[in-house]
Amino acid sequence: MAKPLLTLDSGTTCSSWNYCGVRLAAGSADGTLSIFDFRDPASSSSLRSTFKSRIREGNIVKIVWLPPENGDAVACIFADGILSLWEEFAEDSHPLQWKMCKSFGGSSSKVLDVQFGISSTSLKMVVAYSDGHVRVYELLNPLELNNWQLQAEFQNVIDSVSTFGKAACFSASISWNPQKGGSQDSSFIIGYNSNTSELNSSKVWEFDQAHQRWLPVAELALPEDKGDQVYGVAWAPNIGRPYETIAVATHKGLAIWHLGLNPEHDGRLPVERIALLSGHEGEVWQMEWDMSGMTLATTGRDGTVRLWQSNLNGAWHQQAAIQPTS
Amino acid sequence: MPGGDGALVPVSNENRGSVVVYPLHHGLNPPIARLAISWSRGNSLRVSVFRPPSEGEAGGKVVEVNLSNGDSEISDAQRRRIAYGSVSPFALLQSRRSSFSSLSKVPMTPSLYHLDWCEHVIEYSKDISSLLGGPKLPPSPIIEDPKAIFKKGEEPTYLKAAWEMMEIFYADKQSQAWLPERLVDWLADYDSLFSSTQATIHSKLVDFQKDIVNIQVIEDDSRYWEVISSALAVGWLDVVVKMLRLHGSYQLDQLSYRETENGLIEAVAVLISKMPRLRPESASGKLGECFKSKPDFNKAWEKWRAQITKLDCSAFWIHCDNLRTREGLKNMLQIMLGNIESLCMATCHWIELYISHFLYIRPFTMGIESMYSLAQKCIQSKPVSSAHRLTGLMIGILEENTEVVLAECSREYGPWMVAHAVELLTAGSEQAEILLYEERYNLGGISIGELHRLIYAQVLSSHALTWQIAPIYLTSCMKQGMSLLEILLYRQSVQHNELLLKNIELCRLYGLDHISSSIMKVAGVYHWKHGRKGSGIYWLQQAQDANRLHIIAQQLFDSVGKSISDESFKQWEGVIELLGSESKTAGGLEFLRKYRDFKKFLQQVPGGKSTEAARRAVDSLILLMKNPSTPQRFWLPLLYDSLKLLNWQDCPLLNVCETNLLLNKVQELSLARVRPDFKESSLPPEALSCVRLALATNLGRAILDE
Amino acid sequence: MAVTALSERPEIYRLPQYKYVDAVRWLPPLSAFDRFAVLALFDSDSDTSSIEINSFKPNPASLEPQSSWVSPSRVSSLKASQFLQKTIIAASTFAGSLHFLFSDSTDASLESEVSVPENELHHGPVSCVDLMDGGMECVSVAEDGKVNLVSVGNSSLNYRRVFDSSGLVSYTAARWASPVEFATGGYGFSLHWWDQRKPGGPVSQFKGNWDQKMTAGIVHSIDIHPSRKHTCLAGGSLGTVFAWDLRWQQQPIMLSRAGTVASDTEVQSVSEIMEFFTDIYLLSSFKNAEFSLGCLLVLLHSYNWTLAISEAFDKRKKLRRKPCTDFPFFISYQKRSNGIVLLNWRPILNLTFFVIPRQQ
Repeated sequence: MAKPLLTLDSGTTCSSWNYCGVRLAAGSADGTLSIFDFRDPASSSSLRSTFKSRIREGNIVKIVWLPPENGDAVACIFADGILSLWEEFAEDSHPLQWKMCKSFGGSSSKVLDVQFGISSTSLKMVVAYSDGHVRVYELLNPLELNNWQLQAEFQNVIDSVSTFGKAACFSASISWNPQKGGSQDSSFIIGYNSNTSELNSSKVWEFDQAHQRWLPVAELALPEDKGDQVYGVAWAPNIGRPYETIAVATHKGLAIWHLGLNPEHDGRLPVERIALLSGHEGEVWQMEWDMSGMTLATTGRDGTVRLWQSNLNGAWHQQAAIQPTS
Repeated sequence: MPGGDGALVPVSNENRGSVVVYPLHHGLNPPIARLAISWSRGNSLRVSVFRPPSEGEAGGKVVEVNLSNGDSEISDAQRRRIAYGSVSPFALLQSRRSSFSSLSKVPMTPSLYHLDWCEHVIEYSKDISSLLGGPKLPPSPIIEDPKAIFKKGEEPTYLKAAWEMMEIFYADKQSQAWLPERLVDWLADYDSLFSSTQATIHSKLVDFQKDIVNIQVIEDDSRYWEVISSALAVGWLDVVVKMLRLHGSYQLDQLSYRETENGLIEAVAVLISKMPRLRPESASGKLGECFKSKPDFNKAWEKWRAQITKLDCSAFWIHCDNLRTREGLKNMLQIMLGNIESLCMATCHWIELYISHFLYIRPFTMGIESMYSLAQKCIQSKPVSSAHRLTGLMIGILEENTEVVLAECSREYGPWMVAHAVELLTAGSEQAEILLYEERYNLGGISIGELHRLIYAQVLSSHALTWQIAPIYLTSCMKQGMSLLEILLYRQSVQHNELLLKNIELCRLYGLDHISSSIMKVAGVYHWKHGRKGSGIYWLQQAQDANRLHIIAQQLFDSVGKSISDESFKQWEGVIELLGSESKTAGGLEFLRKYRDFKKFLQQVPGGKSTEAARRAVDSLILLMKNPSTPQRFWLPLLYDSLKLLNWQDCPLLNVCETNLLLNKVQELSLARVRPDFKESSLPPEALSCVRLALATNLGRAILDE
Repeated sequence: MAVTALSERPEIYRLPQYKYVDAVRWLPPLSAFDRFAVLALFDSDSDTSSIEINSFKPNPASLEPQSSWVSPSRVSSLKASQFLQKTIIAASTFAGSLHFLFSDSTDASLESEVSVPENELHHGPVSCVDLMDGGMECVSVAEDGKVNLVSVGNSSLNYRRVFDSSGLVSYTAARWASPVEFATGGYGFSLHWWDQRKPGGPVSQFKGNWDQKMTAGIVHSIDIHPSRKHTCLAGGSLGTVFAWDLRWQQQPIMLSRAGTVASDTEVQSVSEIMEFFTDIYLLSSFKNAEFSLGCLLVLLHSYNWTLAISEAFDKRKKLRRKPCTDFPFFISYQKRSNGIVLLNWRPILNLTFFVIPRQQ
């Protein structure tokens, strides 16, 4: 049942598969980016390195692939808060190579997380900064990844009047609504792990096409949990359910939320917490939904992969755990 | 494996409360610093394990965990063979269902409707069943070994045994009347599968068969009589008769002085071969007399039992001096008379005892409730130490608990079984149909039946060689199948044409135009960025992505502008040819084609001789300059290239109107030069004035001509 | 030209394999008794690719492995030909390498192998290779836009680049027409005709603008029959097969295509035509003893296949009596649920398909 695919070099700190699972990008503590490809179509184990280079000083902590409509490109987040976009392309009669297109972030505000979403017109990039600000960028030319326009900037608070100048954020987690195309406005959820409780709780932001602005449409936290620091959020693919499913991890556990599709009179979407599950007993590192949105896989500080599902009665439970051993 | 039990198990299993933990061997030395996970297609989860950096050690491992390996009985290749084989029976049944549901609007007696449908289900069931057999065993030698007690056609599998059991109870309505007899046959085929957990009649027979050559006087061996009565208890009449004939008294040299003994054996053998069976007909060569109708059978049964009783009380027994033979045969008569103690002694597993009840104690069809209580009784008298893959399912069926049956199928045989068995279950009862096809909010508005198809489709999606049959199952899911199909298709790689084309074809087949255009867009960008410009443009054209094509046009103009020399322009011929075929979606690229034509004509005007060719070149120049898609920065190079046309010796090639058009363009150019974003071409600085002068001259000559 | 779908049902035998079948070819027969087929196989469980020669037993139809060779990558294109009592098998891979296997024609044992490593001829997967009939030349084309010729010697290979479009044009199919000419196909139903005597580029190009209603597609397969070297048949996307006659370059003839526009002289088919084969034969069985020349088309789609007969292959419709070339075996691609087909056609008499399910 388990098949080893690849051995990684010493110092590797993060990895990320592309949309179709045929390319793996790995980043390491010394700033090396490696790309691995399967040798043959439908091949299941022979991965080989096709690129390896130290792209910058510093520790790569996270790699995110861009949507394939924009080519083969990755966003690398460094420990010092620099976000760097790299793309693979062949210039006239030159061989294929990876090149840097753009970088974001700096000493004052570090990049904590980045995620890409495709709207009907263009590619959008949401960047969460350490000062509590969220910036949404838009790609002007779909074939050139160096030309980003800042579309919006806001803080993750439900009433937009209050701003928090001195927020210190340790981590952030963004997840786009995986819905592709269609008439639905693009939306994403973001939650923070910071010293400012108002910023922390995860909120769903939706693009208001009519007024060309981002609006918070839902807050996924019970009144007493609003200040809880959020470790991770994950928006499940919706293959036809009459509600959206979103997982939110805090120190209290793993919450599964249902988000209604139709706004109430105040413009907010109805939310309901379906389950609060415990398992990792500590920080949750990563949450990933499978392609049907029926199974959630999570990892956390306990070093275990846990799989969660709902049963026929709608009750969520831990289905299995995978414990890495040597 | 985790997902192996179909994951959504409605009833409690033993693991409730405690989560099963599966080890993942990665071979790295501890400590582990971090984990990363990513779902691949379907149910495979890729786990990256990282350890802190240290000299001479690997930094991490990437391991793929497949969560859908349900059944260890079957190899992956065999599982794929079954998956491929079950597609067409499944698809056929689905299409029949849809034509049936349209038919059902026409008034038709429900029973007739039901009967017709059941025929389709049984056909489906047989087709599937034929896929599930184990490897064929080598055919038996032509000269039969007289001591070979029983033969086998193929290695029995649990999967097939389970499928056939469900077929017997749910699908095969026509054999409902002789269901117990079908169970007798079923056990004959699959008794060996129960040997895994405890001794069975089959295992006893196999053991005895091994030793048979070493036994001198067979009837003196107590196991001989044991094995015979066991085989008799479960109705393996052929085996029993065959074994009886191995008795020493049949040997020619002994026949004379063991006449009575032999006569008794033969009498029992005859009785056995005349045993009345309530079934239409047995397979050729099988013993027993078959009766289709119950009254006939009852009559024969009473007669047969009377004969046994008569033999039992016969005086011949006293003349039989062989004690073992006498006792062995008497015991057999007791079994045939349905002596519960003898049956209990002769059988090993409760299911064997159960079957023997059908044969000798209650040889009549009974309701499923009494079958269940009988099973309970048999389990009580022969308790089992551990659960068995087939008995759990059997009890679920006898309990008439569809949920338990589903859960057993799911846990023991995996998603393939559940997805396909749903058809049998729903044919079995209306209750099951309601249970399986009722839409549930908790499941996101789908039915349990659809859910299991989705789960199975996801299992198919996990493998590169089976994902392409998942659409068959997904499209049979009314509510959520199409969305999952869209995700599945979108998440295929576009790197290789074979897969890409298949993917697009599937989109076309299921009318998913928006997905195919996304896929073609991804393919177009992939090829364009990876240096295959022609393929990139082709796919973007197919995707009708005017936005990207327009950007590409701008980039191409730069390249074309750079390589204005005729040699390298030849390279572009191919791309331009490609553009020609579908100029509608070519964006600004249409220009390139006209430009190519112009270039060609211009080349055909060598030393300024052929006015004919020059005219054609001028025509295409005018076409180009009129066309709004011709970028402004090409105006000057175009005109400069055409200087020899403008200064044509023999006659002015442009008329007044045309010359004015070009002069206007020159005027526009001069104005544009002032704007800050103007890009200066690489032409000599006097180019513009040369062109203007030539045009002015031409205008003068043209006016004179007209 | 009238093209009709064949009404007779051919015989079909299934020959399931236990690995994924990437390609299959008959080997050129040397004797009437032994038939060999070469299969390119991919074992997804162990992630290994191989080329296997199988002997074919007709009664009952079965394939028995004779010899095999492990390929470094999956096979993207496979061809077989014969030269001086030796069978040459050419295989290209997805990794971009080219391999030539020599086998003894009598017992089909593999004798030697020579190869061109990846990145030497092509970057990325090779789309198509074609071996010259009875010759030692092999043409290879790929999406990277390179066209190469490889001369196969007994133990050495010489190769040269015929053309490099630097990716501006991608090639997807190639086929020899004569010892000096070959045709290539690509995107937008483009066809190029190459003549080794006139290097530098294609000598003729097929212009795709002959039918405004036709949507452009990709050429997956080209066939040029030895007796009609001036006519290039190309098949590809959306069930399209057309004939391009070098003597009437502007008037291609549509033989098959998808959709509503197809006329009654065309065969209709919807899916991609991955490969097809033609052969010239006498139409005696169809036209009561009168001999006329026709062409049998076998279209192998990604989902099914069609057999079609075109009654006059030549535009001039001149009837020429010509004995059937004993071209007894055709081979190829897919059937629904991914079969690969070996077609056995003894002239006119019978059509027999041996279907190897691509995925068992």
